Amino acid sequence: MLKILIPTVMLIPTIWFTPKKWLWPSTLTHSLVIALFTLTWLTWPSETAWSNLNGLMATDPLSTPLLILTCWLLPLMILASQNHTTNDPINRQRMYISLLTSLQLFLILAFSATELIMFYIMFEATLIPTLLIITRWGNQTERLNAGTYFLFYTLAGSLPLLVALLMLQNKTGSLSMLTLQHSNPLNLIMLGDKLWWMGCLMAFLVKMPLYGVHLWLPKAHVEAPIAGSMILAAVLLKLGGYGMMRLMNILEPLSKQLSYPFMILALWGIIMTGLICLRQNDLKSLIAYSSVSHMGLVTTGILIQTPWGFTGALVLMIAHGLTSSALFCLANTNYERTHSRTMVLARGLQMVLPLMAMWWFTASLANMALPPLPNLMGELMIISSLFNWSPWTLTLTGLGTLITAAYSLYLFLTTQRGPLTNHLLHMEPSHSREHLIMTLHLIPLTLLIFKPELLWGWIF
Amino acid sequence: MNPYIMSIFLLGLGLGTTITFMSSHWLLAWMGLEINTLAIIPLMAQHHHPRSVEASTKYFLTQATAAAMILFASSTNAWITGQWDINELSHPMSSTIMMLGLALKIGLAPLHTWLPEVLQGLDLTTGLIMSTWQKLAPFSLLMQMNLNNSVMITMAIMSTMIGGWGGLNQTQLRKILAYSSIAHIGWMILVLQFSPSLTLITLMIYIFMTLSIFCLFKMNKTTSINSLAMSWSKSPTITALSPLILLSLGGLPPLTGFGPKWMILSELTKQDLNMIATITALSALLSLYFYLRLSYAMTLTLSPNTTPITNQWRFNTKQPTIHLSISTMLSLMLLPLLPGIMTIIN
Amino acid sequence: MVNFITFAREHWMNLLVPMGFVIGWYLDKQQDKKLTAFRNKSLLYSRELKPGEEVTWK
Repeated sequence: MLKILIPTVMLIPTIWFTPKKWLWPSTLTHSLVIALFTLTWLTWPSETAWSNLNGLMATDPLSTPLLILTCWLLPLMILASQNHTTNDPINRQRMYISLLTSLQLFLILAFSATELIMFYIMFEATLIPTLLIITRWGNQTERLNAGTYFLFYTLAGSLPLLVALLMLQNKTGSLSMLTLQHSNPLNLIMLGDKLWWMGCLMAFLVKMPLYGVHLWLPKAHVEAPIAGSMILAAVLLKLGGYGMMRLMNILEPLSKQLSYPFMILALWGIIMTGLICLRQNDLKSLIAYSSVSHMGLVTTGILIQTPWGFTGALVLMIAHGLTSSALFCLANTNYERTHSRTMVLARGLQMVLPLMAMWWFTASLANMALPPLPNLMGELMIISSLFNWSPWTLTLTGLGTLITAAYSLYLFLTTQRGPLTNHLLHMEPSHSREHLIMTLHLIPLTLLIFKPELLWGWIF
Repeated sequence: MNPYIMSIFLLGLGLGTTITFMSSHWLLAWMGLEINTLAIIPLMAQHHHPRSVEASTKYFLTQATAAAMILFASSTNAWITGQWDINELSHPMSSTIMMLGLALKIGLAPLHTWLPEVLQGLDLTTGLIMSTWQKLAPFSLLMQMNLNNSVMITMAIMSTMIGGWGGLNQTQLRKILAYSSIAHIGWMILVLQFSPSLTLITLMIYIFMTLSIFCLFKMNKTTSINSLAMSWSKSPTITALSPLILLSLGGLPPLTGFGPKWMILSELTKQDLNMIATITALSALLSLYFYLRLSYAMTLTLSPNTTPITNQWRFNTKQPTIHLSISTMLSLMLLPLLPGIMTIIN
Repeated sequence: MVNFITFAREHWMNLLVPMGFVIGWYLDKQQDKKLTAFRNKSLLYSRELKPGEEVTWK
C-alpha cells in the first residue's frame, strides 16, 4: 500500500525541483511508473477479500479497480493538460500538477481506507483540489458559479453523512469496514432511522449524481479545464458508487422499501438526461449529461443489491470512467483548436483530422456500449438484474439504451461527418501527444474485454 | 500613541483577563472583566476617526451593560444562596441572567448585534485583539459555571445560523470576520455543557485561524473584498495559501478547522442530539459561502492590473511575518495531531 | 566529471520517487511481518511445520 502512496507524496517535491524543461516529461514518466506499479494490487493472495493490509488501509476486489483507475488517470491528465497550460508561468504549471497529484493522493487514501470515517474525510478532502482546479484554471467566468455549485451540492449531501456515521459509531462501537458487516444487525424501525438511512446514502447519491441532484455536474464539467473534467468523470463520480456499495450492507432491512423513490429517480434520469443529450449543442455538456445517464444505471444496479447488480455497477463504473474521460479528451482537442464548445462550429472534422475521427468513432461506440466492450457487459448485467427485479423496468432501461445509441450517433455525426465549415480550414494537425492519450485510454478498455474478472469484484 | 501609555494599556488588558482566569470569587472575576474593558477602549479609540470613536462608544455601552448584568446576577445569587463562589452559581434566575450577560460579552446571538459594528470601526490589530483575546475571559467564566439549560443550545444554534446569514451580504472584511466569529462562538457554546474541554480546543483553534486571517489582511492592508483582488501582486505565496486558510475557517476536511466541528458533532451524537447536530452542520454551509467568496476574490480570479502594480511582490514587506507563517501552518496542518491535542487538554 | 556533476545537479530530484518506492516497500514488508507474526500460533490458520522450519513467532 505504502509503496504506491509514498512515491505519490514524493512526486510533489519532484514537481517543484525539476528544471523547467524537464517538468512535463519527468512528471509524466514518474506518474506512469507509479500507475504501472499499482497493477501489482491485482493479485489477491489472501482468502478473505482484503489484502495489502496495514494499519489504516487495505485493498479488496471492490476498491482495487478503482484505485488502479485513479493512478492510471494521473499520467493521462498530465498529458492532456500540457497544451493548455503552456502560457502559464512555470510556477503555476507546477502548482497545477501538484494539485492533480494531491488529488491522486486523497483518492488513494479514500478508496483504500478501511475505516468509514477515514473514507469520509478523504472523500471530502478531494473537494478542495477539485474546487481549485475548476475555479482557478477554468476558462469562463461561470467557473466560479460552477465551483460554488460543486462545493455546496456535495457538502449539503455529505454533512448529514458525517452525523449519520457518528451515530453509527455510537451504535456499533466501530466504523471499520473489515468488521462492520459482522456487527449485530441494527434495529431500524423508527422514523429517525429512516432519516438516518437517507443521511447515509444522500451524500453518495449527490456525488453519483442522481437525477434531481445532478445540476452541479454539467456545470462543473463544462467549466473545468480538461484535467478537471477527466478526473471528475473518471474517478470522483465513482466515489459515490463505491461509498454506496460499502454502506449498503449495513442498511439492510430499510433499503428494500426506502430505495423506491431513488430507483424511480435514477431510472427516469436515464431517459431524461439522454433526451437532454439529444438536444444539446454544447460538446462538453453533452458528455457530462451522458455521464449522468450512465451513472443512473449504476445507481439502480447498486440499489437493488443483487450480486449481478453490484458486479454490473462496478464494471460499468470502470468502463464508463475510461470512456467518458476519453470523450472529454477528444472534446478538448476540438476546444484547443476552435476555442469553442459549440458543436455547430466544429462540424465535419473528419476532413481535417482523419485519424482523430477514428478515435471519435471508437470512443462513441464505447459510450453506446458496443458488444465486446466492458461497457456492454456492465450495462447488460445491470439491465438483466433489474429485469429480474421487475420486468417493467425493461421499458425504461431499453429506451435508455436506445437513446444512448441515438445521442452517441448524434455526437459522432455532428462532429465528424458532413461538410467542413469554412472557418476550420486552417487547423493544426493532431499531435502524437493526443493520439497517445487516446491510446492509453482505449488500450485498457479493449484489454479488459479479455479478462473482465479483474472488474468483477468479490461477488464471483 | 505614546509607547509608554500603550504598554500600560496592553498590560492592563493582560492583567484583567488574568485576574478573571484565576479568580474563584464573582466580584474578582467581574473586576477583571472591567479592567479588561477599560484597557481596550483607549486602544480602540486611538485613531480618533469618527468610526473608531463610534465603535468604542458602542463597545463601552454594551460591555458596561454586560458587566452590570454579571454583577447583578452574582450578587442576586449571593443574596439567595449566600455564595460568591463561581462554581456555586446555582439559582436558575441568576444563572440565566449570568448566561445572558456573558453571551452579550462574547457576542452570542441574539445579543450579537454590537460585534460587527464595533469590529468595523477598529484597525486590524485591535480587531484581532477584540476577536481573540477578549473572548478568553468570558469563556473562562462560562466553562467554570455549571449551566444546564436549553437556552444555551437555542442561542448557540441561532448564533451559527445568524453568523452565516449575516455575513452573506457583507463586503467589508472586518464585518465578515465578526460574523464568522459569531458563528464559531455558536459552535463553542453548543458543546459547552457536554464537554468544556472541547470548547477550549475549539476556541484555541479558532484563535489560530483568526490570527492568520487577520495578519494576512494586515499584511495586505485590505479591509474590503475589492481590495483583496490586488493581494496576489503583493505576496503570491500567502495568497495561494489563503483560500486554504479560509476553507479551514469554514471547516472543510482535511484542514484544521474540520477537527473541532467533527469532535463537536461526535459529542452531540453521543448525547442523542442528532437533529441539532445535523442542523448545526448544515448551518456551517452558510458561513462557508462567504469564505468561498473571499477566496474567489483573492486567489481564484486574477484582477486586471497595470504592470508596475504587479511587481510589488519584489519589495519585501516591512512587517514581521513569523506569526503569520506559524499560525498559517497551524491552521492548515493540525488535523492529524488532533487526538494528541485532545489528550493533552482533556 | 563536469558532465557528471551537471547531470547530477539537473536530475537528482528524479531519485525522489524511486526512493519513496523503496521506503514504501520496506515499510510494507515490515508491516506484513508484523501482521503475519501470529500466523502459526492460531489453531484455525496454522499448518504443519516442515522439518527444520522456524516458527514465525517467538
